[in-house]
Amino acid sequence: MTTSVSSPPAQGSDSRASVAARARGLTKAYGSGETRVVALDAVDVDMPRGQFTAIMGPSGSGKSTLMHCLAGLDTASSGRIWVGETEITKLRDKRLTRLRRDSIGFVFQAFNLLPTLTALENITLPMDIAGRTPDRAWLDRVVTTVGLAGRLKHRPAQLSGGQQQRVAVARALAARPEIIFGDEPTGNLDSRAGAEILGFLRRSVDELGQTIVMVTHDPVAASYADRVLYLADGRIVDEMHAPTADAVLERMKSFDSRGRTS
Amino acid sequence: MTVLRTSLRNFLAHKGRMALSAVAVLLSVAFVCGTLVFTDTMNATFDKLVATSASDVTVSPAKVDNAQQTGTPDTLPASLQARLARVPGVAAVVPEVSSQQATVADGRNQDIGSTTGAPTIVANWNPTQTRTVAITSGHTPLAPGDAVLDADTAAKHHLGIGDTLRVIAGSGDFRVTISGIATFKTTNPGAAVVYLDTPTAQQGLLGSRNAYTDFALDAAPGVSDDQLKARVDAAVGHGYQVQTAAEMQAQNQKDIGSFLGPMKSVLLGFAGIAVLVGVFLIVNTFSMLVAQRTREIGLMRAIGASRRQMNRSVLVEAVLLGVVGSLAGIGAGIGLAVGLIRLMSALGMHLSTADLTVKAATPLIGLAVGVVVTVVSAMLPARRAGAISPMAAMRDAGTPADARAGRVRAALGVLLTAAGGTALALAATASSASAGSGLLAVGVLLTLVGFVVVGPLLAGLVVRILGAVTLRWFGPVGRLAERNALRNPRRTGATAAALMIGLALVAGLSVVGDSLVASATSQMDRSVGADFIIQAGNGNPISPAAARAVHAAGHLAHVTDRTDVAATVTAPDGSKDRTTIAAATPSYTDDLQAKTVQGRLIDAYAPGAMSVPAGWAKSHKVALGDRLDVAFTSGRATRLTVEAITSDDTVFDRGAMYMNIADARKYLPADKFPANDMMFAAALPGQQSQAAAALKAATADYPQIKVRDQTDYKNMIQQQLDQLLNMIYALLALAIVVAVLGVVNTLALSVVERTREIGLMRAIGLSRRQLRRMVRLESVVIALFGAVLGVGLGMGWGVAAQKLLALSGLGVLSIPWTTIGVVFLGSAVVGLLAALFPAFRAGRMSILKAIATD
Repeated sequence: MTTSVSSPPAQGSDSRASVAARARGLTKAYGSGETRVVALDAVDVDMPRGQFTAIMGPSGSGKSTLMHCLAGLDTASSGRIWVGETEITKLRDKRLTRLRRDSIGFVFQAFNLLPTLTALENITLPMDIAGRTPDRAWLDRVVTTVGLAGRLKHRPAQLSGGQQQRVAVARALAARPEIIFGDEPTGNLDSRAGAEILGFLRRSVDELGQTIVMVTHDPVAASYADRVLYLADGRIVDEMHAPTADAVLERMKSFDSRGRTS
Repeated sequence: MTVLRTSLRNFLAHKGRMALSAVAVLLSVAFVCGTLVFTDTMNATFDKLVATSASDVTVSPAKVDNAQQTGTPDTLPASLQARLARVPGVAAVVPEVSSQQATVADGRNQDIGSTTGAPTIVANWNPTQTRTVAITSGHTPLAPGDAVLDADTAAKHHLGIGDTLRVIAGSGDFRVTISGIATFKTTNPGAAVVYLDTPTAQQGLLGSRNAYTDFALDAAPGVSDDQLKARVDAAVGHGYQVQTAAEMQAQNQKDIGSFLGPMKSVLLGFAGIAVLVGVFLIVNTFSMLVAQRTREIGLMRAIGASRRQMNRSVLVEAVLLGVVGSLAGIGAGIGLAVGLIRLMSALGMHLSTADLTVKAATPLIGLAVGVVVTVVSAMLPARRAGAISPMAAMRDAGTPADARAGRVRAALGVLLTAAGGTALALAATASSASAGSGLLAVGVLLTLVGFVVVGPLLAGLVVRILGAVTLRWFGPVGRLAERNALRNPRRTGATAAALMIGLALVAGLSVVGDSLVASATSQMDRSVGADFIIQAGNGNPISPAAARAVHAAGHLAHVTDRTDVAATVTAPDGSKDRTTIAAATPSYTDDLQAKTVQGRLIDAYAPGAMSVPAGWAKSHKVALGDRLDVAFTSGRATRLTVEAITSDDTVFDRGAMYMNIADARKYLPADKFPANDMMFAAALPGQQSQAAAALKAATADYPQIKVRDQTDYKNMIQQQLDQLLNMIYALLALAIVVAVLGVVNTLALSVVERTREIGLMRAIGLSRRQLRRMVRLESVVIALFGAVLGVGLGMGWGVAAQKLLALSGLGVLSIPWTTIGVVFLGSAVVGLLAALFPAFRAGRMSILKAIATD
């Protein structure tokens, strides 16, 4: 599918440029000695540009930790992480903040918006903070895509849960980040609103060329992705391309039947 | 029991959030207890001093009401000693000479008297002195010209044995040489004390070797003080004051009480203001704690806890907070009193911390104040906790504000403010000062309460304006700060209101003070013709010798004597007024050109004439030409004709009656005529500077005499007022500190409340620096909002007060823009400082934890 609007950041010619984020030997451990708990165990992962990746796994598998580390919200115990060309494992808080602001978009499960700001203000917040003027045409397109045109002056409290999540998606898309991370973005929504949000995410990948990484435990949500990564005990144990909800569910069942602890 | 347990757990779990409220309680209670301990200690100290020094029975000259201020102590004849010695039961008679009206100068002609207002005492050395002092070096005054000086004064002025002192008394001045140093056995409350041999003291201080100021009697064994007093009364008649040691002590307690009492009231008043400000802080804390706990309380209600239990659980927490804060406050109050005592010692008033008096009532009062204030403050939040429905457990935190309550509040606030404003306007236009001051008080109170009530509603408007003026420079961070300040107007309003109270008082008083100085200055320019104003610096009258020196100075066109003569004036309506009449040389009419409403001022200086002030004339129905009975204290009675009625619209000599000093002398014996309290002089035309030099030279021998020209005098008024205002500001500082704690508290709790938001903002790219700036800006906006309210309110009060006081000569309204500017700037700085800790905390929050918080 072609679009009239230019797609996200310019792509380089070498192979790295086709990867929006990657990690090598990523380990995250809490505590030390006897009480040491390993959440991520030397994970190597690539998030290809323009792809929609879902991360699945039972609770405690480390899927949220993986996302937090890739997004620069959490620090790795060892290993290296790149977002685009930048190695973030070496960055101090100031540069890391700027990287999140300019190169990463977030959609959380809940409490995505500032209650004091209108929908539009929430959408442009990352650019406002950066002191950049939003690209008007792009903004209009994003707002239209997520179907918020009539609600831009509303405060979050005046919006339904689904509308709030759409604002969050719009915010993530508006700044044209290198990569968008979703942490169970549909976890709090009913299936219809959830399907809407997932549809937008899918379209932003297909039509806008956006890269998306989403943590979920919902097989239906995962079926919207190009690829599903399965985590267990802090390791990537499987990968599935072009998933369907049924296939994902089957795969998950096999985890459960192995009766692993969480 | 469960309620108590949850309260206790909550209290302990949130002790960080309660800390600032506890500090507010602590500060208020500390101020109250500190004041009580300090004044009680002062009382005890003076009591002890009198108790050790008082003799069994003391005979002194009869007390005269409204006595003439002659500058020389009243005396008893020396012959009385023998008569007293013959009274049965008298073991010993010690003749005493003591004067507090002399000035003592050192070899460089510097006054060695206290600078804190404590007296200079010159006395004869006699056996009773050993009760209070011991000679620690040198010897007692044995020969004429010997003197013993107290050790504290000696140390302060670097004086020692062999140094010369000059004693300047009403009856002349003389030199003595220090022969010994005396150290106080009890506390010396800062007085400079010089002991002389008895003949020198008699001659020098009283002008006669046949006089004493009092006799100290020792009772023989088996004779009680009261018995002895009765016998002395019977033996020498009733022309004397005879007091037992107990009576002296009681008298002294009354005297000190009349000085300490008002001081105590003023200090407690300021403590009260701090308490009031603390109330806002505590209300806010509990409101926020209840709001943060909405779901928890909803859950408790859902599983069966009653409304009353929830209500009570909050109140129990308040009691705990009150008790903890008060106990710490009582301790801090005692510490504060010790600090004050040390400070007074450094200033020369030697109070001993060994005399520290903590009455049993003090901690009880402190505890009562702290607990009652905390519980009363927590009532409203507690009621709100009780009103939380079980449904709240299932809802997201934060319920929309009740719009109806907002309207009720608006109506009430506007009504109160309007009523208060009307009272202020009426006060400003009142025709009599007494009616006006009542209206002023009502107006101040109503507008204050009105502003507190309406504050949250004004927050929206004022914060938006402030935001438009200041915050727009800070872009999106400024906008976020503005929205945060506006999101809970009640909280912002209460926080700012706490700051408003202190600042309103500062603004109001500064307007009145500035107007007073401006009025005095403008009136001096209009009506003061004298080039020089001469006064004694130590509050004593000008000694005759010093007055003669002034008269002898060259280059002067005239010199005016002025004194207040005590007299009882009987009006035609029969009412007797014990008052003073300002008796002066007729040239005084030129030195101070007092306005008259009837008659000419100069006519009041004719023999047998006087003037009365308009207010007095009106209330006593006195008209021009009326003859008034005037009985001079210790002198003759006469009838004087009212030849002029002076205006009350004046800052100087307000309410004074005038007459000619030469005429007044006719009605009083020379030794009873009061010494000049002020003198005025005018230079010969074009010889201003020569005259100034001549006056300086003429009074060089009298270190207590201050010669001021008009500029100096204006400066002195300004300085005195500044000193007073600074003292008041210092006392108000406590209220402002508590208010600032309130800002810190609100911000800190808000930051906790907004943990998730902060996490979100950090996740999407708000830098630490931007986050901290956002918190700081919110703080500055709240502080400035408080300043706008406070300064607005205070200026309203100040203007109304000035208009009212215009009846009493305060005709010029002057707004101290510098002070107002400083208040605004200071508030902004205070806002920044208040945000330091909350901003730091917000910046340090871990993003992940913030996002994970439920």
